[in-house]
Amino acid sequence: MDHVILKNVTKTFVTKAFGKVTAVNNVNLNIKEGECFSFLGPSGCGKTTTLRLIAGFEDLSSGEIWLGDQPVSIKNKNFYLPPEKRGLGMVFQAFAVWPHLNVFENVAFPLRILKKEKSVVLDKVKQALKHTNLSGLEEKFPAELSGGQQQRIALARAIVTNPKVLLLDEPLSNLDPKLREIMRFEIKDLQKKFNFTIVYVTHDQTEAMALSDRMLVMDMGVIQQIDTPTNMYNNPRNKFVYGFLGLSNFLKVNLSDGKVYPVGSDGVSIDCTIPVDFSEDQAILASRPNEIDLLPEGGYPARIKSRLFLSDYIEYRVDVGQTEIRIQSYEDKGFKDGDLCGVKFNRLKWYSAKEEISEAERERRKVI
Amino acid sequence: MNTVKSFLKKAKTFLIFAGPTTFIFLSVVILPFIFGIYLSLTNWDGIASDYRFIGFSNYQTVFQDQFFWNSFLLTVKYVLYTVVFVNLVAFILAYLLTSGVKGQKFLRAVFFVPNLIGGIILGLIWHFVFSRALVFIGKKLSLGIFSYSWLANPQKAFWALVIVSVWQYSGYMMLIYIAGLVNIPKELVEAAIIDGANGGQRVRKIILPLMVPSFVVCIFLTLQRGFMVYDVNLALTDGGPFRSTELISMHVYKKAFLAQEYGIGQSQAFILFIIVAAITLTQVYFSKKWEVEM
Repeated sequence: MDHVILKNVTKTFVTKAFGKVTAVNNVNLNIKEGECFSFLGPSGCGKTTTLRLIAGFEDLSSGEIWLGDQPVSIKNKNFYLPPEKRGLGMVFQAFAVWPHLNVFENVAFPLRILKKEKSVVLDKVKQALKHTNLSGLEEKFPAELSGGQQQRIALARAIVTNPKVLLLDEPLSNLDPKLREIMRFEIKDLQKKFNFTIVYVTHDQTEAMALSDRMLVMDMGVIQQIDTPTNMYNNPRNKFVYGFLGLSNFLKVNLSDGKVYPVGSDGVSIDCTIPVDFSEDQAILASRPNEIDLLPEGGYPARIKSRLFLSDYIEYRVDVGQTEIRIQSYEDKGFKDGDLCGVKFNRLKWYSAKEEISEAERERRKVI
Repeated sequence: MNTVKSFLKKAKTFLIFAGPTTFIFLSVVILPFIFGIYLSLTNWDGIASDYRFIGFSNYQTVFQDQFFWNSFLLTVKYVLYTVVFVNLVAFILAYLLTSGVKGQKFLRAVFFVPNLIGGIILGLIWHFVFSRALVFIGKKLSLGIFSYSWLANPQKAFWALVIVSVWQYSGYMMLIYIAGLVNIPKELVEAAIIDGANGGQRVRKIILPLMVPSFVVCIFLTLQRGFMVYDVNLALTDGGPFRSTELISMHVYKKAFLAQEYGIGQSQAFILFIIVAAITLTQVYFSKKWEVEM
């Protein structure tokens, strides 16, 4: 059963400074019941706007949004269900716990709005507090508690009515790294226990990949790829997704006579196979720093530009043609600055060299 | 030796920066105040070149003066209505003008403008409105309620005073409420929306509790301004008809300067000061307890 459905959803803003901006561009999405689904992308890519469209804080410019079999927003029928009627739970980046109410009243708020009886409220709130490790703190006020505890209050409040869908907008961004890891597990545990459908917005790829059953990467309002974390990491659809999911090297190459020449390489080719369906004469080869070997002989000849000892691993930088390549190795191969070596790429992903979106447009989007 | 030196240094800095203002404040406000207390213990009539010290007998007279207490009670009635209506109107305006309507910034300026008009001019304008403009319209359209000047009737003149004060001060308090509303983090209200709260529930359960500091300030200001009202009182009704809208500041002024009983007027003023200070300090003290750390 699909719990969250977006059909051809587009949202444009008209701003004084930049004119018309398409924040969300023709997004199509089906999130299944009980799925933990992440929206991943850089600042300004439209992931938070998409979440707010699902929540109902913004209205669509075109398209439809359905929650299960209930439409919540259909633009061409001018149908729009306000957020307070959508039965969702939401956790905000800045916690948004009310300072004038104690922990109990904060969590009880949605139940009080629904006019539930005292005994029901008491029971449900106690349950929610138990599941978020806040038992015993009912009388305290948010100002007396730490950031992690406040975020848990927000979480407890979001789950207390057992909503069909939980929306989380970068909930861990305001917490310190250690706490972030702990909270990650707690959220995942809660999700497994209660089978919530979760929509999780983040710019941290590790968080998205650790938590999600499926995820999407978004850039400038356009979905780049929807997949499981593993599939997406192993088969990024384009250069942007590849670069966003981890440290990357991008090597520009020219193809001629079935051989692959790095740009600026003076006629020395790389030993690799051109994919069958690749027909262009230029390409960008993507590789991960930890999937490249440095050999004493053979491979593409290069000189060590720099060597950094980073306790867990060693990082080397070499020039392949005119591109600087980063290599991370867990073993010390014995190379020093200035040594000759051979670069062997163990895994390469092939991408078209045609320019997609300019840097200038990307920067412009970030400011909004 | 060091502490004396550093104290002198601090004193010098204080004198350079705060000295002139402190001096002016002392000489224009504090000294007359203290001298006034002294004069309230005399029988000066405001003009004569000598007077006797008579102790507290002025205060005794004041406590038994029926007119003084009538005027005071009338002022209390005026203050109650003004405080309620000014803050109600101001809050509603502030809420509407922070909800995203078109031209709300312009409208905020529009509603603030009445506050810029000095009290005397304001009173005179409204005097014209009540006694000429409305009467003209009332006669033309046969609206009984406006056919006679409101200022000729003691009850209606009282309400005219309230209306003009509300018109004058709502804009100013509205700005304070707008600042308070705008300072509530947007997520706190959005969290309430997601939890199912409609507009009224959001206002009652989230917005009003978080606006308590603004209310403390505005109620204090309206209380204090209400008790001290004079210029509008003078220009609109001059205490008429037949001293029925003579509020307390006007009563004190008339006593001290027109009736030539300065000593008694001064003691009335001092009693008024004590009462208003007590009321406003109590209000602030208890309201502060409701404030919440954000």
